[in-house]
Amino acid sequence: MVRVGVSRRTALGVLGAASLLALATVPALAGGEIRVLNWQGYGTDEKWAVEAFEKKTGIKVTHDYFNSEQEMLTKLRTSPGTYDVVLMNNVYVPQAMKEGLVQPIDESKIGNFADLTPSLRDSPRFLIDGKHYAVSWVWGLTSFGYNSDKIKQVPDSVTGIFDESKFKSRVGWRDDALESIQLAALATGQDMNNPTDMDKIKAQLMKLKGVLKTFWSSEDEWNKHLSAGDFDIAVYWSGSAARSKKAFKLPVEFWVPKEGAIGWYDGLTVAAKAPNPDGAHAFINFMVDPEFYVKWDTDAGAPASANAKANAMLPETAMNRKVLGDPEIVKRVQWMAPTSDEQRKKYQELWDEVKTAIAQ
Amino acid sequence: MTRDGARVWGAGLYLGLMLAFLYLPIVVMIVMAFNRSPLYELPFVFDLVWFKALATNDRLLQASFNSLWIALVTAAIATVLGMLAAYAFARYEFRAKRTLQVLLFPPITIPWLIVGTSMLVFFFWTGIGRGLHAILLGHVALALPYVIVVIGARFQAVDASLEEAALTAGASPWQAFTRITLPLLAPGLIAAALFAFAVSFDQFVISYFLAPPGVSTLPVEIYSAIRKGFTPEINAVSALIILLSMGLMLIVARFYKFGGER
Amino acid sequence: MALEAGKARTILALTAPAYLWLALTVFLPLAVMLYFSFLTVTPLGGRVAEFTLTNYTDFFTKRIYWFNAWRSLEMGFYVTALCLLFAYPAAFFLAKWIAGRWREAIFLLIILPFWSNALVRTFSWTMVLREPVGLLFTYPAILIGLVHAYLPYAILTIYVSLQAIDDRLIEAATSLGASPRQTFARVILPLSMPGVLSAVFLIFVPVIGSFMEPRILGGKNAIMLGPIIEGEFVSAFNWPLGSALSFVMLAIVLLALIAGSPLLKRYADLA
Repeated sequence: MVRVGVSRRTALGVLGAASLLALATVPALAGGEIRVLNWQGYGTDEKWAVEAFEKKTGIKVTHDYFNSEQEMLTKLRTSPGTYDVVLMNNVYVPQAMKEGLVQPIDESKIGNFADLTPSLRDSPRFLIDGKHYAVSWVWGLTSFGYNSDKIKQVPDSVTGIFDESKFKSRVGWRDDALESIQLAALATGQDMNNPTDMDKIKAQLMKLKGVLKTFWSSEDEWNKHLSAGDFDIAVYWSGSAARSKKAFKLPVEFWVPKEGAIGWYDGLTVAAKAPNPDGAHAFINFMVDPEFYVKWDTDAGAPASANAKANAMLPETAMNRKVLGDPEIVKRVQWMAPTSDEQRKKYQELWDEVKTAIAQ
Repeated sequence: MTRDGARVWGAGLYLGLMLAFLYLPIVVMIVMAFNRSPLYELPFVFDLVWFKALATNDRLLQASFNSLWIALVTAAIATVLGMLAAYAFARYEFRAKRTLQVLLFPPITIPWLIVGTSMLVFFFWTGIGRGLHAILLGHVALALPYVIVVIGARFQAVDASLEEAALTAGASPWQAFTRITLPLLAPGLIAAALFAFAVSFDQFVISYFLAPPGVSTLPVEIYSAIRKGFTPEINAVSALIILLSMGLMLIVARFYKFGGER
Repeated sequence: MALEAGKARTILALTAPAYLWLALTVFLPLAVMLYFSFLTVTPLGGRVAEFTLTNYTDFFTKRIYWFNAWRSLEMGFYVTALCLLFAYPAAFFLAKWIAGRWREAIFLLIILPFWSNALVRTFSWTMVLREPVGLLFTYPAILIGLVHAYLPYAILTIYVSLQAIDDRLIEAATSLGASPRQTFARVILPLSMPGVLSAVFLIFVPVIGSFMEPRILGGKNAIMLGPIIEGEFVSAFNWPLGSALSFVMLAIVLLALIAGSPLLKRYADLA
């Protein structure tokens, strides 16, 4: 490896100074610390939870975040031995296991394991070759959140949201190719994981031109746009809608049209070269515990828990019980499946075409 | 009014309008740091709550401190390395010159997202890894093209014959450089250092990719805060930084004339 | 002979530090990306990739790529032109018509915004541009945001060039009978060209790849090559295509430079 004379000396000098600073942040060895990789503000980094866990086990929790699932995978691939607990959408677990990025779960270390809903806990994406590679944690829906002060009556069908006469320039959307195609598939009566008529999908998405005000890319943006009146109805996640209503006191309700919604479920995994696997297991057990979950949903708002016992402990009026606990709605849910590279490529291209056409 | 007087008046007016445009969002940003509403809602209610919150926000303060010293070190290293290269370009003709100059384009043209991702992957493969050292490597690299171009532009105005005269008069190359060229070059060096500092201080993408867990810089924190839900605490830290830099520059201006001689 | 070797050694010593640093941190990593751009899929995670040119041919055959590249270039032109238009007079007045304390103060004020974070600044713009101004989520809003961000760069580099122009040259021209306009066109403008060209380099190039200001200020009008490349990396995990598009953009910029370089030579010779 070629090293440069002058700059190496400088670099070393700087490194010396930097390491003094870095000492404060260099993690303690296994037994004392775990590193968690997750979305920001998605449960594992709730301040009170981290403090309670630290008090209970003496293990310090440090977080790193990702802004897209691809980023999560990239971070895992390029930083082996850095993370202990990693949140993973179920569709990525099989691939992560194949690449050797996650290790099998030691169920004996997860006290709450038996309480988890079997259909989620033993889903073929989590339970591979007789071993669990993730602990199912939460699940939720992607559908629409809306301003209940401004919209008194939501449409019946999802096609209603593309109606220019009702929603001209009032709709918010997420700039995500996969999600957009899935929603358009719902609107055109196709299988969201394997749509066959892409022309119909494109035509449906083109209708966004009349109704779309802007894209949002984080929960906070969603909240700020809604409260500023930028849009009155937008694609959103169920857990986030609960949070907007609960924690941010916004007049938000969640709408699941008659065609259904996109269902997803997340699991907590232990990274393959985790420095502290015991600590990781302890943390995961803490996360699926009803004690944590109920407080999380009550105080902040959360997606639905994979722990049936925990869900049952929520108050009747909680959105998770009212909406996601409603069997009528659950029947209409289409569950997300993994997408191949080929599919993803196609979708991205289609979505880029739509975006180009609807811009000025 | 004399012709000169009218000139100054006209110039002042134009510059005033320009400054108004430049400061419009900044004034809004600073004012909202003192507004009580966490959702940036009006009417304006004066409150110091966000500054108080900032005082106890260790994470944000640590990140700001990291950004500051990383930017200072970046500016120093980049200015020195860049000046040497700019000197070579200005004073010598050689075959590789065109190629080297063209090579300054990729770091600036290729979106930082690509550069950042490629650095992440390459540093992983070569064992350099993530960390403060990686961040510094990246920041200096991104600042170098700016520095070389800015100093290069200034070099055009520094007459080579002055240096040659000094050499003929018996000065060593080092003396000629430090006594003649360097002072004339100074405004360009200051400008280049400022650019390098600004590029580093505001650099988000590289820092985001190469920062190890638990270590953060100000732009990364701001970005995280913006995604999670930012309160005017962000405005407070931004306002403080502007005020601090203004103070710093005023101090430096005591000793060095910004804007060059005259 | 000894002189040649000595000169070569000097040049090497002067340029090596900067370029070796760049090689390690930018050129080699980008070379890896360049290699990726000729593959069918990102060769990570056990994927088997094959050699292909489609990532590059797609740029010419698929409208979304070349059309959005044009949108990006267009935006680059507008922003650069607007920046130069407004910055030149400001730099000129500051360098030639204002002096002393005022000049220092204004100079400091112009570069102070460098210390404000771009993200926060852009969000502050959303507050200014939304109702009742009503410009938010429009194309002009993107222009405003970008011009605002890059204006100080232009003022600074043009100022540095102008300030170096010896006043005696101007006096000489006037005493020889040149009108102010002639003095400007024949003396001042050519001598300030290095500054102007630096400004073009520092503004045009980053602007065409930008995706943050467009997204925050432009809403659905933000679609340009920058955001498309971002999508390929962040959502689609299609690094080969994303890299290929970036390198095509780089090639376009370099071609523009080569095309414009006779023009540059003319001005350089004038000065």
